[in-house]
Amino acid sequence: MSAEILLRFGLAIVIIGLGVFAYWLINQRLLVRASNNVFTLFKKLPNKPVLIYFTTPDCVPCKTVQRPAIDRILNLLGEKLQVIEIDATEHPDLAKTWGVMSVPTTFLLDARGEARFVNNGVARAEKLLEQIQTL
Amino acid sequence: MTQTLQKVDHSALKTNQIIIISLNILAFILNLPILAAFVALMMGIGSALKIPGFGFVYKNLLKPRGWMKPDILDDNPEPHRFSQILGFVFMSAGSIALFLGASTLGWGLVWLVVALAALNAFGGFCVGCAVYYWLVRLNLPGFTKEPPAGTFPGMKPRVGASR
Repeated sequence: MSAEILLRFGLAIVIIGLGVFAYWLINQRLLVRASNNVFTLFKKLPNKPVLIYFTTPDCVPCKTVQRPAIDRILNLLGEKLQVIEIDATEHPDLAKTWGVMSVPTTFLLDARGEARFVNNGVARAEKLLEQIQTL
Repeated sequence: MTQTLQKVDHSALKTNQIIIISLNILAFILNLPILAAFVALMMGIGSALKIPGFGFVYKNLLKPRGWMKPDILDDNPEPHRFSQILGFVFMSAGSIALFLGASTLGWGLVWLVVALAALNAFGGFCVGCAVYYWLVRLNLPGFTKEPPAGTFPGMKPRVGASR
């Protein structure tokens, strides 16, 4: 009985793993797309990490979690990070170009303008900081 | 063409999907077709009442305690209901297959529901809704709603989308 449960548990892990891998592939595609579209936002790269934050005025998790998390990071890093907030309702073209399907979505670009991370949904301050430290 | 969108709380839908995913995976691991049948039953009840089957967990537990914030968007509820009906059909077929001993087919259907619910919960794409909008294009009776403006059929609408 327990061996069977273990086997089924293993199978479930493999199936979930395949799903996560598929999700990772989609995110990689999003990052390539974002890297190719960096110059839709900048004429010249700011030579520091950039956090691009897609939001909308009525997005509750954006106001209650995402914005405070970004403010916390800005307090910690100050001028070392540039944050660009984009209202997806005002700039649907940008949201479309960057492949943003829901809000909040955050992209992290390194100093060379390469999109290195994308967070679909709320990304907490700790997670964002961890990502920024690897840039 | 103009249509009136309604307020749809996507947090309730997401809670429903996550519970469906969790219970189905648990059913598979513990080899409990009865649990899969329970999920099917809840989805069926939800479809009949036009609410998410496990929406009561969000409404009575998660939302009042602030564990999940509302995510209210202008959207059509009909495609989400249709999506749940589709899920109910797959889950029912899967459960029947399991009780008849066709475990590969049964668990395959259960995992299909898990995959589609996960795509919706974590990727923001509702396959059932996309099928609904596809049926609208085929002028099928009863399928009348268009996707919110600027929203790809099946994708979660952006706030402010209206038509």
